[in-house]
Amino acid sequence: MPQISAAILRLMLLGLTVPVMAGTISVQANLANHEPFAGAVVSVRAESSHAANAPISAIVDQINLTFVPDIIVIPVGSTVEFPNTDSVSHQIYSFSPTKRFQLPLYHGKPYPPVHFDQAGVVTLGCNIHDRMVGYIVVTDATYFGRTDAHGIWFATNVPRGTYHVSVWHPLLRDAADSLERDVSITGDESATATVQLAQALRPAPLPATVRSRDAY
Amino acid sequence: MSALRTLVVASALGALAPGMAWCTDWELSADMRLVDSDGQRSLFDGGFGALQYDREHDGVQIGQLRAALNQPLGNVWALKVDASYYGQDDQHPLGVTEAYLEYRPYPIDGWRTRVRIGAYYPPVSLEDTASGWTSPYTLSNSALNSWLGEEVRTIGVEGQLEWLGTRMGHDFDLGMTGAIFGWNEPAGTVVGTGGFSLNDFQTSIPQGYVGGRGDAAFPEQPIFHEIDGHEGFYVGADARYLDRVTLLALHYDDRANPTAVDLAGNEAWDTHFNSAGVKVDVGGGWTAIVQWLAGTTAVVYSGDANSYPFHARFALISREWGRNTVSARYDVFGIESNAEQDLGAETGHAWTVAYIFNQSLRWRFALEWMHVTSDSAARVVVLDEPAYARENQTQLSVRYTIGSGR
Repeated sequence: MPQISAAILRLMLLGLTVPVMAGTISVQANLANHEPFAGAVVSVRAESSHAANAPISAIVDQINLTFVPDIIVIPVGSTVEFPNTDSVSHQIYSFSPTKRFQLPLYHGKPYPPVHFDQAGVVTLGCNIHDRMVGYIVVTDATYFGRTDAHGIWFATNVPRGTYHVSVWHPLLRDAADSLERDVSITGDESATATVQLAQALRPAPLPATVRSRDAY
Repeated sequence: MSALRTLVVASALGALAPGMAWCTDWELSADMRLVDSDGQRSLFDGGFGALQYDREHDGVQIGQLRAALNQPLGNVWALKVDASYYGQDDQHPLGVTEAYLEYRPYPIDGWRTRVRIGAYYPPVSLEDTASGWTSPYTLSNSALNSWLGEEVRTIGVEGQLEWLGTRMGHDFDLGMTGAIFGWNEPAGTVVGTGGFSLNDFQTSIPQGYVGGRGDAAFPEQPIFHEIDGHEGFYVGADARYLDRVTLLALHYDDRANPTAVDLAGNEAWDTHFNSAGVKVDVGGGWTAIVQWLAGTTAVVYSGDANSYPFHARFALISREWGRNTVSARYDVFGIESNAEQDLGAETGHAWTVAYIFNQSLRWRFALEWMHVTSDSAARVVVLDEPAYARENQTQLSVRYTIGSGR
């Protein structure tokens, strides 16, 4: 009996150590001035079909007349709750073709989560406070995320194949298709896609202040 | 057409929406002032001084007591009412400065309409962007916007159409505005007979007026009256570059018959003006505003057709950091007159420097210094005083606000 168990264990270990030919895709995104592009949304799609990512439940809060976080990336089929933590009422809407919805004037959390069943970018606004803007990136990509402070994002254990890398950010002026790259994983190596912006980003939205909360 | 139908259906549904989401927003505030002034008799006391507080009215003053209500009526309609008491206005303990119904449906495919019905300000001021149509930069408005507060209110219907390009990946939002109004034909009285002033007063509706009490130099005249039955109009446009630059332009014409007088002796003043402004937020808390307004007001009085071309402009620069705001503004204003002895003619300029500390959403402390130099023919003709005046005013303000959002 102990011999059988040892054999099974050996087989399991063997299974774990068999090369699966999985590599790493990393993306280095740089601004036009060659500084790192932090916070860029990276999507990596496999050329061949792949299993869809599991939906998640996310929260976009409203704090000090700001969507928090201002950008989220969620798989298709996910839901998002929009609590209003501010003491003032908000009236949230999206007229983006990806998902049109409206949450009439509210405080707190009176509405059920909103279901996002189609890939694309959803721009959030408040019909009372026009300066509020937020983005939900609903993605069907195999791998996705946002670049770190060094402008880097990576995915590990990427199976062999060809992948299409795209980068998006609401402040981008570069055409989206100029930032697309193809990378191939042929073994357990690392493939890097470098995305260099040609144009400066739009200025970031001005932060909400005590003064901006006291609005006519 | 289908978009219009969607709009109509959406607004109807909005009006019928259940009340669970109706959130009444309200505010009450008290603004007390400690004033030092060497100013001449002010506009509010029937004089020709350019300051809000004259040397007879400094010391502790009630700046403004204000009550405001924003009552949603369904999802896309709201009732907005603002009422204030000002220390200068001993005739109207609590006057309504604005009261209107607003229809503001959700944007459809990047387009949004807004309709206002009632009494409210035309879209001219880039300065008065804080609650209650007050300035977040200074205590006193520019001469240009002080005049709006004294004499101008849209009492009618205004429609606005906006294209929200920035929500669709563009750099610009664009808007157009048009209105038809009435009950404001005496507008022009103050600028034509009293001249420009720099203050934060807002004349109340419907019976409010500026100045003209006791031995006043010019007669009291309620501002919000319809006299000749001609409706006025304005058309305007605005453009915004991201949240950094705002451009605003308006053409206004009250289309009043300057010979018309009602039974109470109130005169219609034919007033029309163009205004334009630009506001730039460059980041780092820096804001710059330049506004310009020029027009003419005319009245026929005792058979004489008196015409008063007028202009007012200002440049303001402001820096906000943390809870602090420091602002400086330079005003220029002038009125020409074809009346005898140039009565009504005026030239002037003003410097204003203000520090505002928003300690919290409830407490605000402010210190403002103002210096106005002006030359007014009326001082000579009516009061037998020198035409030229240099006036100084320093105000310390403490304001406490409570409300649903505070």
